[in-house]
Parts: sequence; structure tokens; C-alpha cells
Amino acid sequence: MIPLSETLSQGRELVAEIEHRSGQKVADCYQCGTCSSTCAAADAFDYPPHMFMRLLQLGAVDRAMASTTGQLCYDCMTCSSRCPIRIDVADVIETTKNIADEQGIRESERGLRLFRNLFLKNVRRHGRLHEASLLAWFNLKSGKLTNDLSLVPLILRRKNVRIVQPRIKDRAQVRRIFQRAKERPRW
Amino acid sequence: MRIGVFVCQCGTNIAATVSTERVASAAMALRDVVHAESIQYTCSDPGQRTVIAAAHKYALDRVVIAACSPRMHETTFQRTMAQAGINPFMMEMVNIREHCSWIHSDMEVATEKAIDLVSMGVAKVRGQTPLFSSHVPVVSEVLIIGGGVAGIQAALDIADAGMPVTLVERGPTIGGNMARLDKTFPTLDCSSCILTPRMVEVKHHENIRLMVNSEVEQVRGYIGNFEVDIRKKATCVDEEKCTGCQICEQKCPSEAPDEFNAGVGETKAISIAFPQAVPLVASLRKEYCRLYIKGKCGICKKVCPADAVDYEQEDELHTEKFGAIVVATGYELFDWRQAYPHYGGGLYPDVITSIQYERMLSASGPTGGHIQRPSDGAEPKEIVFLSCVGSRDESIGRPLCCKVGCMYIAKQAILTREHIPDSRTYVFYMDVRAGGKGYDEFYRRAQKEAGAVYLRGRVGKIYPRGGKLVVMGADTLVGENVEVEADLVVLATGIDAAAGAGSLAQRLNIPYDQYGFLSESHPKLRPVETTTGGIFLAGACQGPKDIPETVAQASAAAAKVIVLLSHDELETSPMIAEVNHMRCIGCFKCREVCPYHAIEEQGLRDGRRVAVVIESLCQGCGLCTVACPPSVISLRGYTDNQLIEEVTAVLR
Repeated sequence: MIPLSETLSQGRELVAEIEHRSGQKVADCYQCGTCSSTCAAADAFDYPPHMFMRLLQLGAVDRAMASTTGQLCYDCMTCSSRCPIRIDVADVIETTKNIADEQGIRESERGLRLFRNLFLKNVRRHGRLHEASLLAWFNLKSGKLTNDLSLVPLILRRKNVRIVQPRIKDRAQVRRIFQRAKERPRW
Repeated sequence: MRIGVFVCQCGTNIAATVSTERVASAAMALRDVVHAESIQYTCSDPGQRTVIAAAHKYALDRVVIAACSPRMHETTFQRTMAQAGINPFMMEMVNIREHCSWIHSDMEVATEKAIDLVSMGVAKVRGQTPLFSSHVPVVSEVLIIGGGVAGIQAALDIADAGMPVTLVERGPTIGGNMARLDKTFPTLDCSSCILTPRMVEVKHHENIRLMVNSEVEQVRGYIGNFEVDIRKKATCVDEEKCTGCQICEQKCPSEAPDEFNAGVGETKAISIAFPQAVPLVASLRKEYCRLYIKGKCGICKKVCPADAVDYEQEDELHTEKFGAIVVATGYELFDWRQAYPHYGGGLYPDVITSIQYERMLSASGPTGGHIQRPSDGAEPKEIVFLSCVGSRDESIGRPLCCKVGCMYIAKQAILTREHIPDSRTYVFYMDVRAGGKGYDEFYRRAQKEAGAVYLRGRVGKIYPRGGKLVVMGADTLVGENVEVEADLVVLATGIDAAAGAGSLAQRLNIPYDQYGFLSESHPKLRPVETTTGGIFLAGACQGPKDIPETVAQASAAAAKVIVLLSHDELETSPMIAEVNHMRCIGCFKCREVCPYHAIEEQGLRDGRRVAVVIESLCQGCGLCTVACPPSVISLRGYTDNQLIEEVTAVLR
């Protein structure tokens, strides 16, 4: 049960914060469900995008922040591009997730933040994703050294993952992209 | 006797399954048929010209047209007959499309059947005699029943066309439900600001006679010639003398429920409904008056400066003649209390109806435009609206949609935000139905600008807790139960036909449905007509409607009335019942079964009492012809002999 009188009063400030940072209005959403039906990851979320929006509309920010939606969303932005009222749904989800991080809300999916950080670091270093090293680093840092180890011969044989892969031409440019993103105000 | 038979191919509609050539040649073999042919499209101009040419060439005096349903083209071919110089009723249509080609696939069988049908038509038309329409004079005055916005609109339109109108209103003022509204969706213009000028116009229009506190008691007669008894109820106030000063109301010691304000606040036994009432005349309700309850008072009479109060006043009965009647009796709100015990059934004072809320929103209302909790007068902050209370609920036998609830809730939510900026509104809904110009945008505005929280689900229960009302509902969008601690709950109650609409319909002899809404003659093509000629419908008496629709329908009804009354005489269908007076035994069984009151009793010179058909009233349904014990009533164009000939032909 959602005690609306309570959630709407208590959640008001945080919803306003999310709206301010993302520049989106959650009340604009009319719950058509296009975002969820177009989302490739919706099945993995506890709340598909439209329900995530709905939680914010009902002031249930705590639940939105703790949900796996923000953690598992890979920002493909399809929801945002298909939204008939042009709400940037992905931005709302990401903003909510960022606020959750700032508030130190622990992720329910273990290792997600580690993976994300390693992923970005990896791209920054190589200019593109170097999968083999990402997997190695992840196992190392998460302390689960033998995780998925049995798959290694298979993926090497099939060449799904290469240990040596061609470098991109201008790694410095990718680094500059990272730099710009860092300098950009977050909202 | 020279009969021509024309078999229509209707393109391939008929010709694909019926061999029209074979039908035509078979028809040639029938008695008295002098010409038969197959035509590609008989109803087309060349088709009709072919028929006319054949009629001249073969000197036809009777015609059979085997084509589509007479509902489709009977009048077309009657006109063709007239052009060919043949009495239009000497033409018989045989339906070989809907009744034959469309429903069969075997050409052989279908052709046989078409031949049978044509031979029946020929047999029938052989017994046909020329018929002639008669004319009845038309009374040019119009009666409008109900003084809401529909009645007002129709009255003004008809009166502007120069026809005298009598507008009969049951209550003490015109204006109806619209006068009780604060603002109107989706423009938020002030309801009374746009309505009251029209009300005043009615009052001063030279062609309109306004009768308030009046009811239609009996209706006799027929299209163009109705005779109506109208009872003008005694109100103990002389309408001519009363100046509307309201001193009586101020001094009256007897409190009475305020119906205009839907029970928000009280009024006096002698009162004026609202400041802009038309006519601005007080009326006294005896059931609340101390003089009539305790036998002692009379204050209003003493204080009245115009000497308008008259306790001796009696009901007046007027009998008037009208050419047409427009029924505009409107709607009332469904009484939800019995049906919804889980919403408190009326026990919780802070669960109110939307019209009560509307009166609170109104600046000229009993609270002066302040929203107050009825229980303690406090300003509510958390306000919950429930849609579909008494609508779309089969468990209480009301599956209908009230059509305006979604929109007026959006309006009230927007107005609530204007009245109480720090309030929060919740709307429990099943669907939001906002079809109409600017309607969806308006309802979205309630969400976006007024911050109304829309929750998709019906409310299961309301119960009081610590001075608040707990509203237990569900939001199916998030798939969970929700709960609101509300200060005030507003129920968007469904729409019912006005009380007594059904009995009025019986007096008018027009059909109505299980909710008391009056039935139109055809849902698409005759939406303002009834099945009784000369009686038209306007507004929500026919079904739930918003104001623009009501006004449009009222103008449509007015147009129909104007068309009807633009003729001095009416042509009547000659295909009606006829009594053979010589053999009538005067049992009047026919009068009992006639649904149109078209049979009257007449004395002959020899003293016998016989039945006579009122030609302008008879619709030719034929009930009397079968009810008549000695079989002396016949339907012109469908005489017993003709029907027997038809049957004989098919059995031959």
C-alpha cells in the first residue's frame, strides 16, 4: 500500500530536485507505456520505465531510488526518443540514480557500480572497450577470481573476445570527451 | 388492368445471384402483366426514365419494381410514378436484394424465389386502389417542456423564427442545472454569466410565454394539433405583483432545504432560488411553511410591500393547443447513498457530491465561493474526487457513462487549485473520457498545471479516522493499493433522467429507456425526433450530454419544429386504417389496442356508436385490423384481400 498523503508530502522535495536536474516534469507523463514497451532491458528491471515514472508521480521516491531500474538501465535512450510527449525518460531515471548514489543508497545488484566504473575507466584508457582486460579487472576487483573462468577457452576460441585488439587512431580525442563530460555541469 | 414489372440488377448486387432476365420473362407470363424488363440500376436517372418511358409506351396503370428494400427507395419510385402520371400508391416494391440476392448463394434457388416474390407483388398490386394523401391544418404555437439550457435555446430559436412559444418549467425559475454550475469546461467561463442573458431574453421575448411552477398533465391530439393540459401550481405569490425584493425571505421564520444549492446551506419556506432567477419572483413551499404546519404565522403577507402574497391562491389549469412539442426535461444526479454504503452511504458529512462542491465553488453560492468541510467549516487541503459513482457500475444496474464526469472533475480540480493554492487533489478514475474540442488538453491541464494526482482505480472503501477520511483505493498503473487521508471527498455522481421523465413520456406517448431517458426515433439519422410525429427531444432528457451538445441538439430540434410549422397544412400518409362503418359493431377493441390514440367514437344518425380513425394520427401499424372481431377495419394499401392474393400467388 502506498500512503499517498504521506509519500506526496515527503517526496515532494526530491521529486522537485529530480525535475530540476533533469529538466523534465514527471506530471507530464500520461502513462501510455511506450517507454516500457520499447525498452530492451525492461524485463530485467523491477519497475519498467513507465512504472518508474509512476512511482515518482506518486511521490514514492525512496522506491524509485532503490529500484534496479536506475542500476540496470544502459542509457540506450530509446525510451526518450519514442516518448510521445518527449519526456527524456532515460534522463529522469539516470538523475534519480545519481541522487541515490549521492545519498549513499546501496545498490541491490552487487558489483554494478564497480562494473560501471571499470567500464568507463577501460574505455578512457583504450579509447574503446577492451573486453578481455575489463573481465580480468572485474574479477580481480570484485574478489571473485574464478568467476566465469570456465567460459574463457570457449570465448577465446570463438573469438568473441580478443586479448590483442587493434587500437583506435586517436585515443587522446576520447580522453578529451571524458574531460568535457567531467567539466560539464551535472544539471 | 395493365401492369409493368421492372427487375433491377442493382449492378451485381442482385444480378450476381438472381437471373433478372429470367425473372422478367417469368413475370411476363403473369396475369395482367403487359411489360417486364430488367434494368441495371432502376433508381438511377436513366433507370427511372426507362420506367417512365415504358409506362407511357405500354399505358401502364400499375407497376411492380423488384429491387431493394422499400425503406431504401420507395419514395424514389413513388416520385417516378407521379412523373409517369400514375398514382404513387399503384406501385409495389418487391425486395429481391436484402430478402433474396444478398442472403442466398445458389443462383437457381434465388431466381426461383425472386420469381415467387415478384408474382406476390403482382398479385398484390392487382388489388391496389389509388390512394390520396389528405391534409390537416397546423397550429403554429409550440410547447417546450423544461426551462434548462436546452429549453431556453430551443425557445429562443423558434421564437426568433416568428413562432409563438410557450415554455413550461416545473420549478420556480428557468436556468436548470446549468444555472447551478460555477464554471464550464473546457474554457472556464462563468456558467451563469453566459446563461443569465439568455434567461432574461426568454423573459422579454415577445413570442415567448413563460410558465414557471407548471407541469404538463395531459396531452391529446397529434402532430400539428396537440391539445395540452398544463397545471400552474399555486405558490401563494402573485407573479404579477411580486417585485423580487426578498423581504419575505428575510423575515420568514421557517427554514427549508435549499434544493438549488443541493442542500449546502438552508433557505426559507418562501424564497427566490437564486439572485438571477427568471422570473424574479418568490414562491412559497407549503410543506415547510409554519402557517401550513402550525396554522399560525402569516409574516410574509404582512411584510410584503407589494401585497403579492396570497394564501388563497389555487392551482390553475390551462388547456392550450400546440402544433409541435419539444421535450427538454434534462437530467438530475443519481442518488448514490443507497448504492454505495462502502462510501459511507451519506453518513459522513465530508463525503459530498459534485454538485454540492460546485455550489461551494460558486462565488454567489451559499459559502460565497469558499470551499468548506461540511463537518467543521475548515478549509480542506487534501481533496479526493471519485469518478463513476453510479456510472459504469453493472452491480447496481447502471452500466451507462455519465459523459461529463471526467471533464467536470478536471474542472473542479483546476478550480480547487485556484481557490486553495496549497491544496492537493486526487482523482480516482477508471478511464478518462475527454473526447471533445479542447477537452483532452483541459484534462491534462488539471494534471500538469493544477497538480491533480490521477489514480487509475475505483475506490473500495472510505472510512473516518481521526477527523480525516481514509480513502482506500488502488492504482493499477503501479499495481498497488493506495491510501489517501482526505479532508473532503467529492463524488462525481452519475446522471439520471429527471424525476418523472418516464411518466411524462407516457403522457406524450413517446418511448423511453430503462433509465428514463427518452428515445430518439433513430440513433443516427433522426436524433431529435421521437417516434411520435410532432414531438422532438432536446438535451439530456435523451441521454447524458454536455452543454455544447445540448445547445446543438436544442437548435436542431428547433429547426425541425420550424420546418414542420412552416407549412400551414400537413400531408398525411394515406396508408392508414379505415373502418367500414356499416359493419362496425361499436365494441372499440380497436381503441384499446391503438398505440397512437387514433381511434375515436362517433355517433351515426341512426344512433349507432362506431369507431372512426383519426387520419392524421394513424400511423398505419395495423394492430386494429387484427383486433377487430368482425374484421371490418382494413389498412389501405394492405387490405385483407390483397394479402390473401399474395399468399395465394406464392402457394400457386
